[in-house]
Amino acid sequence: MAVRLDYVLKETGSNLVRNLTLTLASLLTVAIALAFVAVSFLIGTGINQSFLGLRSDVQMFVYMNPGATAEQIDSVSKNLQSNPQVESVKFLDKEKTYAEFKRLFADQPDFVESINPEELPQSFRVKPTSTDADVVSAVGTEFENMTGVYRVEYAEEYARQVQKSLSTLNSWVRLFGVALIFVSVLLIFNTIRTAVFARRREIEVMRLVGASNWFIRLPFMTEGMVQGLLGALAAAGLTWGFDALWKRNFVNQVSFELLNQIKWTGGDLWKAIIMILVVGAVTGAVGSGIAVGRYLRV
Amino acid sequence: MKFVEHTGQETVIKLENVSKIYKGEHMALRDATVEIEKGEFVFLVGPSGSGKSTFLRLLNREETAEKGKIYVAGKDIAALPGYKVPYLRRNIGSVFQDFKLLPNKTVAENVAFALEAIGRPKSVIREAVPQILELVGLGRKEGSMPNELSGGEQQRVSIARAFVNRPLILLADEPTGNLDPATSVGIMKLLDRINRTGTTVVMATHDRGIVDTMRRRVIELDRGSVVRDQARGVYE
Ligand SMILES: Nc1ncnc2c1ncn2[C@@H]1O[C@H](COP(=O)(O)OP(=O)(O)OP(=O)(O)O)[C@@H](O)[C@H]1O
Ligand SMILES: [Mg+2]
Repeated sequence: MAVRLDYVLKETGSNLVRNLTLTLASLLTVAIALAFVAVSFLIGTGINQSFLGLRSDVQMFVYMNPGATAEQIDSVSKNLQSNPQVESVKFLDKEKTYAEFKRLFADQPDFVESINPEELPQSFRVKPTSTDADVVSAVGTEFENMTGVYRVEYAEEYARQVQKSLSTLNSWVRLFGVALIFVSVLLIFNTIRTAVFARRREIEVMRLVGASNWFIRLPFMTEGMVQGLLGALAAAGLTWGFDALWKRNFVNQVSFELLNQIKWTGGDLWKAIIMILVVGAVTGAVGSGIAVGRYLRV
Repeated sequence: MKFVEHTGQETVIKLENVSKIYKGEHMALRDATVEIEKGEFVFLVGPSGSGKSTFLRLLNREETAEKGKIYVAGKDIAALPGYKVPYLRRNIGSVFQDFKLLPNKTVAENVAFALEAIGRPKSVIREAVPQILELVGLGRKEGSMPNELSGGEQQRVSIARAFVNRPLILLADEPTGNLDPATSVGIMKLLDRINRTGTTVVMATHDRGIVDTMRRRVIELDRGSVVRDQARGVYE
């Protein structure tokens, strides 16, 4: 039996309008929940991309003993330059080290005063070829044991710490996102169940006059799909606004040391929006089908 | 497959030793054997809880029997797969004490809804709805909402909805239960008219006056058992 399209459209339209307040209220909740889903997806993506950024400038510092001889410095320098795992080496002599030191502690002039430039260690700034933390620390250990070397420090350590806190944040964001998808599905489903309950008489009459189950289901499913889509569209608007706000306030702003690392592309934004549109439409349609099913059992 | 009676009439409803047991214990219908021919008008009587509504609900497979066989238009309805049950129901109109009209649709829309729900084309609906409303005497009320109608008028709408698809059988469960005697007479005249078109009518009722005046076949139930089956019978 053919299901008439105009019948389905008419039923869908009139029911959406009839339950306008309910429709609006549920649209709003669904929109907010779905917007949170999209936002947590974006932040999660941004955090993942920030890992890539951090990995690309892993550095290592080899500090010499303050009393290291010129031969010792020369030997370390040669070894570094010939090491295949090292991409580039930069030597900071006493003057440069002192300049750097002054820059670092510019806010504590007394401390700077108290330091004799002669006591400052000279150092090598090393950029390894590999970004793999294990390779880098293997190289570091190798030089740590050379005579005249005070100690080796890794920028990686800092990067690692940032990575660690970011990845904790990321798992929370992901968890939050998954929970929100769940909540959105429940919200959509619950709204539909209320709408279906309000129309159980209609379903009863349809069954009585011999409407087939699909014929009864279809208008409910399109209605649920339209509601889910509308909620998702509103959520897309919210997400888009969040995207703009985030870009303006955080991205590449030096004052937000961690947050400014979290960026995503326009493509990611589209992905997030398409994802919530699909979640909205599918849960709307499938949820309605299930909610109606309760009343169809012969 | 058709069941042909010795009278030469067609059997449209046939129950063979049918029992209905609700929730595993309560026997609402007990070993009932009944045959109803095409075009008959049958009253189901009996005290409250004797199984009249159960009898009717078994016929359109809103309920299924635990024991025995039920044939409608020659078909064993227990054997129908679920997706075919709607097609059985298209041959059976149903009318109830509480009308079951949709409050947010007009009279005409309520009737049209029954045809839309089974996928009838618009052109058919446009023609059939005014025609049936004329038949039930509501030609001028097509735009009214159900809450603007009297009980008798609402029941006419529900009869129009049940009959608009010209079913083989009309089941009526206490259709006059909510109506005063004068209004009930009007409804009975309408059902009688429908019956004369060849539609088999099975009606459960407590209305002694109606049964005694119409003198049609009476099947009496008592605690689920058929205790009397009388042509041109009376209430008791
Ligand atoms: N859905 C059900 N579940 C369990 N028991 C039921 C159900 N429907 C009916 N019954 C029981 O089956 C028996 C027959 O009920 P039924 O409704 O058929 O009686 P009835 O003759 O129509 O009564 P009334 O004249 O009051 O309408 C009653 O005892 C009733 O309690
Ligand atoms: Mg009853």
